[in-house]
This record gives sequence, structure tokens and C-alpha cells, in this order.
Amino acid sequence: MADTQPSTDWRDVIARNRRRTYFVMATFVALYMALGFIIDILYQSPLVHAQLLQHNINEPAPLVTAKLLLTGKLFPYATVSAGVVAFIAILITLTFNNRIMLMGTSYRLITPESAQNLAETQLYNAVEEMKIAAGLQFMPKVYVIDADYMNAFASGLNEKSAMIAVTKGLLEKLDRDEVQAVVAHELSHIRHQDTRLILTVSVLTNLMLLIIDVLFYNLIFSRDRRGNQGIIVVIILLRYLLPLITALLALYLSRKRELMADAGAVELTRQNEPLARALIKINDAHSQNPELHQQAYQQTAHDELRQAAYIYSPKTAGISSRPGFSSLWSTHPSLQQRLKAIGYKG
Amino acid sequence: MTILFIIIILAIFAIFIGVYNRLIRMIEAVNNNERQIDIQLDRRYKVFESLIEVVKKYMDYEQTTLKDVVALRNQAQSAKASGDDAARIAAENGISKIASGINLVFEQYPDLKANQNALQLQEEIVSTENKLAYSKQALNDSIERYNAEKKSFFQAMIVSLCSSKLDKQFVYWNLGGADKIAEKESYTVKL
Repeated sequence: MADTQPSTDWRDVIARNRRRTYFVMATFVALYMALGFIIDILYQSPLVHAQLLQHNINEPAPLVTAKLLLTGKLFPYATVSAGVVAFIAILITLTFNNRIMLMGTSYRLITPESAQNLAETQLYNAVEEMKIAAGLQFMPKVYVIDADYMNAFASGLNEKSAMIAVTKGLLEKLDRDEVQAVVAHELSHIRHQDTRLILTVSVLTNLMLLIIDVLFYNLIFSRDRRGNQGIIVVIILLRYLLPLITALLALYLSRKRELMADAGAVELTRQNEPLARALIKINDAHSQNPELHQQAYQQTAHDELRQAAYIYSPKTAGISSRPGFSSLWSTHPSLQQRLKAIGYKG
Repeated sequence: MTILFIIIILAIFAIFIGVYNRLIRMIEAVNNNERQIDIQLDRRYKVFESLIEVVKKYMDYEQTTLKDVVALRNQAQSAKASGDDAARIAAENGISKIASGINLVFEQYPDLKANQNALQLQEEIVSTENKLAYSKQALNDSIERYNAEKKSFFQAMIVSLCSSKLDKQFVYWNLGGADKIAEKESYTVKL
């Protein structure tokens, strides 16, 4: 991929991010249709097998089924419905983008009028200042998430839906300059249009899982379990298979995006110490109280949606947000790499 | 042979249009950033008026400060009207200096620092000065990008062909005075 020859100019990153967003959607639909195709073969080949036996043809039934499905002689019900489901998932992602990203948290929109204390006013002002520095023509929405851990993320598909969310814990423990550096980092994600790609990847990898989880728990707690044995097996299979398959989408996320956003933050604020201090403070808080943080993240529902978008991945401190489910690959560089990249010698 | 010739002519024409459009876009970006500075300067003046109203109760020193700010603002306005960018920048930078002076005063009065309204106001000054500084930074960045493009080889030839449209002389804004640089140099990391 283009990662082998990374451009240092964020203006090129925009084009690459846009391209990749479409690739992610196409891959997503393709993965689902492939899964549907396999189900089609599994489901329809016994019938084909019986037919073959009748006519004394000695050929492997799955292969013949695949051929018949591809030539349109058998209708690929599962493939088509998987494609439709994938398409609907993309539509849902595009329609409810930010609401999905904030799902499971209690959050509040910050405006000059709704700011309840000095820290929130400073947060809003910092976003406004960075917006001016970046020459953005639009003001992202600012949210404060009511959580004690320190983290922040940006999201949004376009100018209208651009947003920056910061946790209460981060706001309380960082000083003005540090909050400004974090905001500059998040605004750089918006400027580089990383947000669109991250949003698409995050929501698409997790959306079906959310729906399947709901079905799964419904089945577990429902009393009438007779007759749904087949469905239970399918749902359990999907629950563990889908994350594996859709995790492939994360390959489209560039490992460099966090470093690029850090660089963007330094470019906007013209200093690296506040960002370095903020990153160190966030890292320290996580690694000094891993159990407490693990609990806090796990108690926040659907936190895996935000994992790729966070400024600091809890995984860096060995904290996983979902019990028994660890991502296959890390999405964030280590603290040392990040400090080195912004030229901070602590 | 003639086909090759035509292709070369067309290619040069296409490059010419590309460079022309990019330079025009850059000039417009600079113009837009200049407007942004005007907005921030106006906003700052209004913040100052209300700020001095509040601080006046605590210190008599502000009477002269207000007069200074008004005088500098008038200087800046008349310089802007006469198109004298350098004088205007000097006058506005004078106001910035007063602003950082007021912030120092804040640090010296403990009961001022304990006052929530005063803290909100101090945040207002800091943010106002930041917004102004960042809009200057954005302007300077866009001027730099434009100048680099304009003076590069090949682009420079196109600029000289239509200099009335493409050749603009923009003035860089001064980002704070020498005291700001000294402040940054003496900066220490607090952990």
C-alpha cells in the first residue's frame, strides 16, 4: 500500500484517506458477500449432491454448487442478502456516524453558553484557536464525555459532522497548554480527514457485532429455546467469526496517522512540550492504575468503537477494553516512538 | 512531427493553466486570512473595553491603559485606511504588549486570581490574544506558501508573464515581540 512511500505533506494524506474510505466500504461489502457465498455453498450443496447421485455424476458437490451459483443457475440467497445487509450497514454508518461513535457514553455538547466551568470554556476556546490556526472554515462540535480516564478523539464524515470529544478526566488533569495540544492533535485528524476513514473502519468493524450481541443476549435470556438451535449456532459462530474477518478492515488504517496528527499539532501550536507533557501524563495515568482504568473502559459500553480513534490507545498500557477480545494488531505507535517523532527529549 | 508539436504546446498550456489557478487560489487564501485577522482585531478591541471596565475597580492604573489602547486603535485604523500596513501592524502589536502587561498584573493580585469573573476574563484575554496570534500564523503560512510557489523556477516565468494578476507583495505579520521569544526560551517544563 502507499504506506511504503509515506508522504510528509498532509495535503496528500487527504487524497489517500478518501481513496481508502471507499476501499474500506468495498472490502466490507466483499467480505460479507464472500461469507454469504460460503453459506450458500454449505446450504445448497446437499441438494446438489442428491441431484448428482441421481444422475450418477461423480463430481465434488461443493464445486458444482459454486459453479451453478456463479453462473446464476442457482440463486445465491445468502450472498445477496449479505450484500444487502452490508449495504444497509454502510447507510447506517453514514447516517448516524457521530451518534454511533459516542454510543455508550454520557456526553454533553460544549458551547460558549453551555460551558459550566473555566476548563470547559478553555476547551472551547482552544478548539476555536486551533480552527483559526488550521484555517478551517467550519467549527467542529465540542463534546465532553463524563468519564474519569484521560482520552480524546475526533470524528465526523464531513465539515457538518466534524466533532472533537474530550473526557472529563483529561480536562481536569491537563493545564490549558496541554489541552490545547490535545485539541490540536484532534483537529489535525479532522484536517487530514483521518476521521472519515477511522469512523468508517471503526463503525463497520463493530456494527454487526453490536447487532449480533443484542441477538445473542436476547437468545441467552429468552426462555423459549426450543426450535432455535440452528439460529443459536449461527449467531455464536458469527459472534466470534465476524470480528476476525472485519478486523481486516483495520489494515487500511495507517500506523502513521497518529504520528502525522502529532506532527500536525506541533505545526499548529509551534511547540512540542505541551503535547509531550500531555502524552506523558495520559500514559502515566494509564500505566499507574491499570486495573482501575481497565474497569473504567470496560464499564463504558461499546468502547471498542472508539479504540482506533483515541489519541492514546489503552492497549499501549496493556489495558484491553473488551474482556477476552484483543485486537489482532496495534493501531497506535508507542509513547517513545511518538515523543521521538516530535523531537522531544525529556 | 506536427502531432508531437501540438501535444507539446497543449502540455505547456495545461501546465500554465495549472500554475495560474494554483497561484490564484493561494492569493485568495492569503486574502481570506487577512480578513480573519481583521475579525480578530475587532473582537479583541471589544474584549479590551469590557475587560478594563472590570479591572478598573481593582487598580487605578487602568485609566491610562484604556487611553493607550484607544489611541493605538485609532492609529491602527487610520493606518489601515491609508493602506500603510507597517504602521498598522506596529500599532496593533502595541496593544498586544499591553495585553501581556495586564496578564502580568493579574498574576500579582491574589484576590483578583481568586475571583471567578476575573479568571473568566483572563481566559478571555488569553484566548483573544491566541486567536490573533494564530490568525497571524495562518496568514504568514499562506504568504510563505504563496511566495515559495511564486519564486520557484518555471512558476516565476509564468508570474512574470501576467504579473498584474499573479505578482502580489504581501507583508508578513510580526508574531509577538522580542519579549515573547525570550519567554519561550526561558520556558521550563513543569511536571
